[in-house]
Amino acid sequence: MDGTDAPPRVLFLFTEIYAHGGIQRFNQTLIEACERLETSGVVLSLQDTAAVSAARTIPGRLRFAGFAGDRRRFAIAVSKTLLREHFDRVLIGHINFLTLATTILALCPRRPPRALLIAHGIEVWSGIGRQRRFGLSRMDQILCVSRYTRRRLLEQAPGLSAERLIIFPNALAGQWRNAAPAPPGRPLPERFILSVTRLEPGDRYKGIATVIEAFSMLADRELQYIVVGQGRDLPFLELVAARSGVRDRVQFLDQVSDLELIALYRNCLAFVLPSGKEGFGIVFLEAMFFGAPVIAAAEKGSLDVVRDGKTGVAVAFGDTIAIKEAIERLDCDAGLRKHLRSSGRHLVTDGGPFTFECFAQRVAEVFRADTGSGKS
Amino acid sequence: MCREQNRAVCGILGLFDSKGVREGADVFPQALDRYRRRGPDDSGIWQDDIMLLGHRRLAIVDLSPLGHQPMESADHRFVIVFNGEIYNHAALRPRLRPTQGWQGTSDTETLVEAYRAWGVACLEQINGMFAFAIWDRTERTLFVARDRMGVKPLYYFHRDGRFGFGSRPGGLSLLQNGEGLQFDPEALRVYLELGYIPAPLSFQRDMCKLPAGHYLLVNSRGLRRIRYWDYRCIKPDPSMGVRSEADLVEELDVLLQDAVKARLMADVPLGAFLSGGVDSALVVAAMKSVGVEHPKTFTIAFNEEAYNEGPAAAEAAECLGVDHVHETLGVNDLLSLLPTYIEEYDEPFSDSSAFPTMAVTRLARRHVTVALTGDGADELFGGYHYYPLIERLAPMVRWRKGVKSAVARILDALPGHRSKLLAGALQSRDTISLFHYLRGVGKDYPPLVSQDLLRNTADSQSWFDQFAASFAMDLTPAETAMRLDLGLTLPALFLQKVDVATMAFSLEARCPMTDYRLVEWAMRLPIQFKIRDGVSKYLLKKVLSRSLPERCVHRPKRGFAVPLAEWLRGPLRGWAEELVHDDTLMSRLPLEKNGVRLLLRQQLAGERESHPVLWSVLMLLCFVQTHAARRSLPALALREVA
Repeated sequence: MDGTDAPPRVLFLFTEIYAHGGIQRFNQTLIEACERLETSGVVLSLQDTAAVSAARTIPGRLRFAGFAGDRRRFAIAVSKTLLREHFDRVLIGHINFLTLATTILALCPRRPPRALLIAHGIEVWSGIGRQRRFGLSRMDQILCVSRYTRRRLLEQAPGLSAERLIIFPNALAGQWRNAAPAPPGRPLPERFILSVTRLEPGDRYKGIATVIEAFSMLADRELQYIVVGQGRDLPFLELVAARSGVRDRVQFLDQVSDLELIALYRNCLAFVLPSGKEGFGIVFLEAMFFGAPVIAAAEKGSLDVVRDGKTGVAVAFGDTIAIKEAIERLDCDAGLRKHLRSSGRHLVTDGGPFTFECFAQRVAEVFRADTGSGKS
Repeated sequence: MCREQNRAVCGILGLFDSKGVREGADVFPQALDRYRRRGPDDSGIWQDDIMLLGHRRLAIVDLSPLGHQPMESADHRFVIVFNGEIYNHAALRPRLRPTQGWQGTSDTETLVEAYRAWGVACLEQINGMFAFAIWDRTERTLFVARDRMGVKPLYYFHRDGRFGFGSRPGGLSLLQNGEGLQFDPEALRVYLELGYIPAPLSFQRDMCKLPAGHYLLVNSRGLRRIRYWDYRCIKPDPSMGVRSEADLVEELDVLLQDAVKARLMADVPLGAFLSGGVDSALVVAAMKSVGVEHPKTFTIAFNEEAYNEGPAAAEAAECLGVDHVHETLGVNDLLSLLPTYIEEYDEPFSDSSAFPTMAVTRLARRHVTVALTGDGADELFGGYHYYPLIERLAPMVRWRKGVKSAVARILDALPGHRSKLLAGALQSRDTISLFHYLRGVGKDYPPLVSQDLLRNTADSQSWFDQFAASFAMDLTPAETAMRLDLGLTLPALFLQKVDVATMAFSLEARCPMTDYRLVEWAMRLPIQFKIRDGVSKYLLKKVLSRSLPERCVHRPKRGFAVPLAEWLRGPLRGWAEELVHDDTLMSRLPLEKNGVRLLLRQQLAGERESHPVLWSVLMLLCFVQTHAARRSLPALALREVA
């Protein structure tokens, strides 16, 4: 259907859609955009189950199949679907599916669909071997969620044609945009800073231990720190808080409803996530949408969203002293808070670059685009 | 103000009580007296209703009474006690305006005036090694700070509105409470796993070491601990990697010379330790470069070839043209220092290189009052043997668990100590746990502390994990290990060793490699200039090549090794057996008695090399025997862990 305005038929290969996490949020927003664009096709999701998807809204034009983590069944389904059905596009949602998809695409009896890969973050910043470089060379377009991701890919696969790597940032998911103001489900501390993240040992680059150390140095002993998230690293972080002498002022919340989370975003003094390895950092958009001033690390994908002094405060990763000073500045400078609330919100509303409308437009463009031949 | 000029005493000590200093005031002079070797030249005590400050002085700069401490600022608002040196104090003076003009020439007076002028921001202005406290009589707030790299020690406790601080735990524990010595269970565990106790832990319950680069603010509202300097987040700078090597060598040489020059400030005789290694030779070479014509250098030579660095040091001294002094000992002569070791290290301390350090200090003190050392270079520039090893092993640690286990089983079955160590290292789950395994003394020996203690305390690796959580992104495994050593091992083990060993003989050690400008530069230096093609301290050696022939630069590293394993099987055998079979002593600690005894038996029979961890246990037992018994204290109690 290249060259026409009719919505294309797309095969989506996702790791997961309906769970917490940046990639999952991205996939949800993508599905939502497809609904608006009346895209038809098939969604194959490795981790999701049919039951989960049934509880959510998968647009009627998209047929869904979940495999509950069964890789073998997933691979068979991808093969069958690609070989038996016609698609205009195949959208590969994770680099881990690259080899599978390119192998099957090579076997397609008819003209294969255009192949698009979404390059999120950490998983593509290193370890691109020969096989994956070949897979990347077979892609018609690579949608990089941040400038850093694009740069890292080009560094590792210098033979790629740069114009086929396009910046394709995330946007605020619908669940947040459409949320009505509601009272918080639990009493909130009067003044607090907030982090929202996974708490896995492998995710210590998120910087929560650093924030706890910075928090412990603050003069204001009334201020609380709320960390929303789940994971096996909770005991370590509790230990860090205890050793820092602030265990009684750090709350770890693992189960938080969307409404509660919105209330937390709306009422916090600052949203602090000085992560060293964000592919993009979709939580920054959520925080900004609800008016929270953001403190982030001046690292990698975060830099696309948080520009120091303009849309947030950017500090060096691991810099406890800078984080402490940033919190103190936000605490005592109402003008700065107001400025950051306003400029942050502009990114995700009123035609800002990270609005859903912009995202949907980008989706439409990549589905419509004819990148021609000349894969390299 | 009360001055006690005629008492012989040492170090700094203080006691704050928001309800008024009563408890502890009577033993304050006695506690201060514990620091007499640290400061034999002068002493003083200052007191108001809620603050008590004490000082013992080893006079280095401004030997006149005008350098006496505790010292008041010109406007009498601030009172300071200070241990250390501010190397750039002369440069700061023109920027400060004391209300009554300068009274003397000491750096103490400069420091108190700097705080009067700039508040806590004075820390950003000063370059030195220090632990000090300044009492603000108007705000009734105490400001306590420790230098960036932790050269000077500082311990403190805070409980129920009472706050005490001191240079060493020995004197301070007298002020703490009437309960006597009670150990911190987590510190005990960490000590037996690592061989040292990293800050803020301290062996004494409810007592902390102030971590390097931190300060405290204490008043009636409580205590706040704040970091003011942090090298952890400094990224290696790729732009340095594209500069010419000659350019970097020149820059490093200038930095070294500047760090050394700053440390030559003294009104007393000054020299340097000189081993046959790179670090001390660099320091001495820099002394020559900045105009010290005939630096006095000191070495201990040993009769036993395996430990003897005497000829190497003598050759370096000859090439450098210095006034070299050496003393030749038998290795076993060092054992005569064991009582001093046990007496002076008033916290369990297990680094046996303290023996030669004490010996060279004793020698140097006969000639000088200040000596420069090369400490810190290994951690900054990649000197330890395990850094390249970590770099090689780190990829294997990421192998699948099953593969790692299979390879480890094969290695474990091979004869020899090294293959067993390697098998243990392969079980690590990441770079930090690999470093923890290689650096620690616990290795894969069965736990030597009780199961109860293991259940109720966090392991020592959690301190490494916590410290490394703020490291810059994308460090190599060797860089990660070097930063962990720099922040945890260096201040708690090596710098403490030097501080205590030198203060035991009233000598002041200065470590140019810990100059913060040099540290920040080294953090930015890419790894290929630290370890290259198996050559450690690559760039440092290039600098040294300017002053010494290659054969002196590339000698194999020896360090201050002592024959611990032989000592335990020989002259110390009876002493060690007596200690571990002392049921009364052993019952005061939650140790696995049988495990400790088995390990000693295996060591003595030559079945297993475990002398580092055994030495840690023996030093722990000695500490308890000496320091706890001295105070006729009740049995050590295990604190309940929250």
